Amino acid sequence: MSARHRLRSLGTFVLLNGLIPIRTQPLYLVNLLASPLSFLFFLTVVSHGRLIGFGITGGLILTMLSAGTGLQSDLTHYRHDLKFQDVVVASPVEAPVYVAGMALSELVYSIPGLAVFVVLFVVDGFATPTSVAVVVGVLLLVWGFATALAFTLATYFQDVRETFMFSPLISLVLTVLPPVYYPLSYLPGWAQFVARFSPTTYAAALVQGSVGQATVSLSTAAVDWGILGAVTAALFLVAAFKARWKEP
Amino acid sequence: MAEPAIVAEGVSKVYPGSRSGAPALDGLSLEVPRGGIYGLIGRNGAGKTTFVRIAATQLAMTSGTLRVLGQDVRTEERAIRARIACVPQESRPLYFLRTEEVVYLYLKMRGMTSADARRRTHDALEELSLLEVRKRLVSRLSGGLRRRTLCAMVLASDADVMFLDEPTTGLDPLARREVWEAVRRASREHRTILLTTHYLDEAEALSGRLALIERGQRRLEGTPAELRARVRYPYRVTLWGDVPRDQLASYGAVSEIEGGFLVFAREPEARELARWALERGLRLSMGPVSLEDIFLEVVGRSIDADAPLAEEGAEA
Ligand SMILES: Nc1ncnc2c1ncn2[C@@H]1O[C@H](COP(=O)(O)OP(=O)(O)OP(=O)(O)O)[C@@H](O)[C@H]1O
Ligand SMILES: [Mg+2]
Repeated sequence: MSARHRLRSLGTFVLLNGLIPIRTQPLYLVNLLASPLSFLFFLTVVSHGRLIGFGITGGLILTMLSAGTGLQSDLTHYRHDLKFQDVVVASPVEAPVYVAGMALSELVYSIPGLAVFVVLFVVDGFATPTSVAVVVGVLLLVWGFATALAFTLATYFQDVRETFMFSPLISLVLTVLPPVYYPLSYLPGWAQFVARFSPTTYAAALVQGSVGQATVSLSTAAVDWGILGAVTAALFLVAAFKARWKEP
Repeated sequence: MAEPAIVAEGVSKVYPGSRSGAPALDGLSLEVPRGGIYGLIGRNGAGKTTFVRIAATQLAMTSGTLRVLGQDVRTEERAIRARIACVPQESRPLYFLRTEEVVYLYLKMRGMTSADARRRTHDALEELSLLEVRKRLVSRLSGGLRRRTLCAMVLASDADVMFLDEPTTGLDPLARREVWEAVRRASREHRTILLTTHYLDEAEALSGRLALIERGQRRLEGTPAELRARVRYPYRVTLWGDVPRDQLASYGAVSEIEGGFLVFAREPEARELARWALERGLRLSMGPVSLEDIFLEVVGRSIDADAPLAEEGAEA
């Protein structure tokens, strides 16, 4: 496929999985707002408003992560129940184009959530040139690794129910345990150690550092970027070599 | 002669994790000529879908070689994929799309321009009588209409090789014939079509050549006429009425049917039997054996050991 063909393909997937389904079910959009907003609400109430800032930065990260989780169940459903992956495999469309297009289409659903958090982010006075650059960079990396992970898993799952069973586990590892909604220092020592294994910990640390919710030295930030980047790259490699585009 | 569209040599497939370790394909060799319609028939579980999926680069094989349009399915997938299209068995169109969107977006996905895609979508929907429902959501279509939409989608494409795994399952007789016409049209445009079917009249009406697969192996292969020529008794005579069975035995292979007998015979014996029956005022019909007869014979041999119709080892 030429670059122009790839672009056309990409746009088609965004239309097909992003824009068109909203036409039949606009409630999808509300649904994706629901979970980060309810966390924000919960956090604000419990902390008497003290942690609302963390709710906003955490909400941004969680929204990007849930774009990945959504992708995983969609791709599993399409592959397994509709045999849509087989239709795409036996066509000029290459796997990366399919995944990128589907990932972009999931992002369509995240736009309302992102918009709300971006507005709160600006209203709360978090937006500086540095923080905006950090947030954009971190969100792109989070979206990247979530997508790569989602695609790889989706080619292994035998049916959609499996993805529902896995989702809580994945969100435990990626969103509950890591200090996305509070500073790392709130966690007891052992939990801080465990959280170090989740890439979202570094994403959150970077974002929290950039808006002054936590103090980070330049060298810690460099390490955080390095780890987040390495994890994303590793998951891309796993997707490239281990995802089952062709069934073994 | 141009190189065949598909060349399979000794293709075997053992699914990973298969308990018995029995191969789904067991050294299958086939040659599908370019620009024709090639039929794959065989019982449930014979290995048709497995073969189609390997050739369509959706499934890896265990051993053997398979080339599609001269390219190796193991190493040159990308070049093959650029030129193929497939309706998988049991695939369903995305249910939140409208009928015309299924076809149109598929063509766009393959990289076609909007103008081309729009024109081809219209033609394909028209060809399969789907224009009336083109604005309808797939979730509101009947099962047969959904299947037709998938056929329209692939037949509208510019692929050189099209894989249709049971394209007409669940279609009414008129719709089936519309699909046949569309398949023939595609073949006239020099596209190669590999299709599987359980409708033997369909296999016979459509396929230039066909292969009968049994337990992952090729049992018979050739044009429908060649398959018939390989058969020991190429004629079938049906007689109704009170006839003593032992008087028929000398003409060929006899089996009892509701209200009469079915006799498989060679041509001279068939003629003689017909004359004999007419002299006695019996009602009869006579004709060449159908693909179904051959199928039942070859495949049914394991079930019904004494109905010798096809010649043993006739395969080259
Ligand atoms: N994904 C799979 N994993 C393990 N075994 C499989 C798988 N798919 C098919 N098989 C086995 O491989 C054999 C061939 O199956 P295949 O689907 O190719 O048959 P088929 O000729 O297409 O049958 P049908 O007419 O029912 O569609 C069967 O024994 C089947 O049980
Ligand atoms: Mg099958």
